[in-house]
Amino acid sequence: MSKQPEEFRLDAGFWKATGLLGVISILLMIGVVTFPINSVLREASSASLPIDFLFRFMAFFSVPIIVFVNGYIIYFAIRYRRRKDEPMGSVGSSIHDHRVLENTWTIIPCVLMVVLGVLSYLAMPQYYLRGKDSAATIEAIGHTFYFEFRYPGLNHSVDEDLYLPVGVPVTIDLTSAEADERLAVIHSFWVPEFRVKQDMIPGMIVPIHFTPTQIGKYHLICTEFCGVGHSEMRGHVIVVSRAAFDAWYAGQQKNGSAAGGAQTINLAAGNASNGQALFNQKCSACHNAAPFDQRKVGPGLANLFHDPAHPNLVDGKPANAKDVAWILQHGFQGPLGAMPNQQANGLSPKDIADLIAYLQTLK
Amino acid sequence: MSVADLQRAHPASHIHPAPQGFISKYIFSLDHKVIAVQYFITSGLFFVLAGLLAELVRVQLTQPHNNFLDAATFNEAFTVHGSAMVWLVAIPVLTGGFGNLIMPLQIGARDVAFPWLNMLSFWLFPPAGILLFGSFLLGAPQAGWTEYPPVSVLASPGTSMWCAAIFLIGISSTITGLNFLVTIIKMRAPGMTWTRMPLFVWASAVTAFLNFIATANLSISLAVLFIQRTFHVPFYDPVHGGSPVLWQHMFWFYSHPAVYIMILPAFGIVSEILPTMVRRPIFGYKAIAYSSVAITLVSFMVWAHHMFTSGLAQWIQLPFMIMTMAVAIPTGVKVFSWVATLWGGRIRFTTPLLFVLGFLSTFTLGGITGVFLGSVPADVHEHGTYFIVAHLHYVLFGGSIFGLFAGLYYWWPKMTGRMLDETLGKFHFWLMFVSFNATFFPMHWLGLLGMPRRVATYDPAFHGTNLFVSISAFVLGASMLIFAYNALRSARRGKPAGPNPWGGRTLEWMIPSPPPYYNFKELPVVLSGPYDYGKPLPYLNVDPAIMQLADAPAY
Repeated sequence: MSKQPEEFRLDAGFWKATGLLGVISILLMIGVVTFPINSVLREASSASLPIDFLFRFMAFFSVPIIVFVNGYIIYFAIRYRRRKDEPMGSVGSSIHDHRVLENTWTIIPCVLMVVLGVLSYLAMPQYYLRGKDSAATIEAIGHTFYFEFRYPGLNHSVDEDLYLPVGVPVTIDLTSAEADERLAVIHSFWVPEFRVKQDMIPGMIVPIHFTPTQIGKYHLICTEFCGVGHSEMRGHVIVVSRAAFDAWYAGQQKNGSAAGGAQTINLAAGNASNGQALFNQKCSACHNAAPFDQRKVGPGLANLFHDPAHPNLVDGKPANAKDVAWILQHGFQGPLGAMPNQQANGLSPKDIADLIAYLQTLK
Repeated sequence: MSVADLQRAHPASHIHPAPQGFISKYIFSLDHKVIAVQYFITSGLFFVLAGLLAELVRVQLTQPHNNFLDAATFNEAFTVHGSAMVWLVAIPVLTGGFGNLIMPLQIGARDVAFPWLNMLSFWLFPPAGILLFGSFLLGAPQAGWTEYPPVSVLASPGTSMWCAAIFLIGISSTITGLNFLVTIIKMRAPGMTWTRMPLFVWASAVTAFLNFIATANLSISLAVLFIQRTFHVPFYDPVHGGSPVLWQHMFWFYSHPAVYIMILPAFGIVSEILPTMVRRPIFGYKAIAYSSVAITLVSFMVWAHHMFTSGLAQWIQLPFMIMTMAVAIPTGVKVFSWVATLWGGRIRFTTPLLFVLGFLSTFTLGGITGVFLGSVPADVHEHGTYFIVAHLHYVLFGGSIFGLFAGLYYWWPKMTGRMLDETLGKFHFWLMFVSFNATFFPMHWLGLLGMPRRVATYDPAFHGTNLFVSISAFVLGASMLIFAYNALRSARRGKPAGPNPWGGRTLEWMIPSPPPYYNFKELPVVLSGPYDYGKPLPYLNVDPAIMQLADAPAY
């Protein structure tokens, strides 16, 4: 037993081991910096690069921590093992703290975490906010167990495959709904190549915003457990050139009008007092003639054409008479319940024009 | 005050006679050591069952489209696996098992503060396990151990049994938390100040605090889910003004602290074994003790990092990200202090030490991927994928379960009076360590490249990796057989351990193995902290013959 307090001293072997671990770390860190992420998992949207930068940043600083912790464990274990000739009870160094050392390994992680926090904040998904520059708003609705998409101006929905034009910023409004609203569950919308993920939650509409940057066919995967069909709930996102997208969209429009049987609605001929009678008869079970937030199953419909509280149901702009007519014709799958279509409600084109005229009078 | 006065003033100064009948001795026992063994046996049984469920899951995943299990059965298997491993294995064995066995001995107490409550806590536990595994009869819960509504509201009747089972565990945890907190605050041996407490006691104290405060919230969320399932009160139902996201907040407000309930005792075990086997004081005693307190407090303010894709506003994600990253700092302090403890030691490569070193290696990786998950944008990509599966197994298996086995090998002689075989133990460690990493390391890649968790079928592009993972998982399962054989073998052929085979300096090594009823004939008096190797032991009223063993370990 030394009577004097033992002095903290590091021997040459320690520095050799440290040097070796440093070299290993640097080699691995170079590997992290040069790792071709895009060739392993394509970076196919505007969200991919900032997120991958964060991965690289974290991996870059994780490598030395992992190498040094494991390396020192192995080195100390060998260097300070009890030798055969030593008595069983022989004791080691009595040094049990070292202020400089402890401060160092507290402060360095603090600094790293602050930097990481700031970088993460800067990369924090702008896609939670509706993009000002977004060219289109598409609705994506999770069902058990498939994805449904609604494009502005298309009078029918598209299942499984989401077509997007490359280089065009889009907003996708995500929700989840079922015909029997009690059965709606949480899904999640994940495109690994886009590094974009957001849960689709019944009763909530959450917009995400991004720009696809590479043409290709990508997996669309549900990552929130949604029931017995969860494993098979997959679709695709197909990113095509602008021209190819326009051709696809035109084809969809043609299909839609052939299938839906377009009916001419003469909006100018609407009669508001007929419309009021129809509203009380057909609509008031689910809608109030009151401001938006006085909802029954559906929202209150006063000021429908001007109130910014009304969600942009169809094409990202405030509702106009044509949009409302479209909804009256085709019904609507709202987050809280389904609105029947024209046939189910028994509405003629004239009735629709009357209803719209009435709704326009509600202030 | 004289020593005799101190002893008289101590709440545990009087001694009750030992119980005589078989039932009061071994079944409805009030003795913390017997209750600990009851916890070990019961959790051990559930560990085997839950482990077999994991192997079923891995059999299914050997092929991209396998018909081994249908989708519903597969969902039941991973749900009950996760629920059982968390609530019937990790939490009971670390607090109920090690907490009961070691904590009262280390503070020099004769039992916990409320022995009857301790018995009640234990006896809530087997019915919970029976309910959870019995739910297979009605159709087991299917929505994963997190049981998010609306799926859990719509799912089979077994989900209500799941609620009831976990509710019982919750009550049991709350009672144990209260019991241990009072025990540690009031019943420490004379002279054992807070900074003279062994680090496992520190870990038990903060774990007890978490159990006491956080678990009540779990019980409430489960009661609410049960009420919605049974009486259709629409708490989590968006159609009638509820919200499914409400459950996520309530569940994670408990379940994030629960992560620390499962890891802090393992930290404590590591902090005990390291100085004993390395034969030198633990590096940074206060840093390790206070960082546990820091982790405990911060753990209440990070729950929403499980919900970064649940549609929370950006401004509310930000504080949760910052708090999550803050956890990394005290955790890092601990890991670095443990590694520094190895420096300058006289390291004896016993089985417990190997498990501790394995813990350090795997837990460090698990902690680092935790930071990856704390950063909001990165988490958006990782959430709900196999990356999470890898991370949580690195911290819960690589952390808690490695810590658990380290503790079992270390305190088995104290508990039973017999040694486990060291050669078998080392073989167990190496097989488990290698197959553990082979099983869970590739899952990081699977997740990042696009494999979601909780799927029974997957993209054939991931087939090779999944097959490798499954085979490794079978080896990992088989490695447990070595321990089972070793444990059974020790009953007949284990070498008698003696009071202190490892040369430990904490109070549990100052009494015979297994400890006598009421532990300490005379309450010990503590003069300083326990880790000053090379100095005389700081205890009064301890048998001098046993004290000598601390300087002459047998292994």
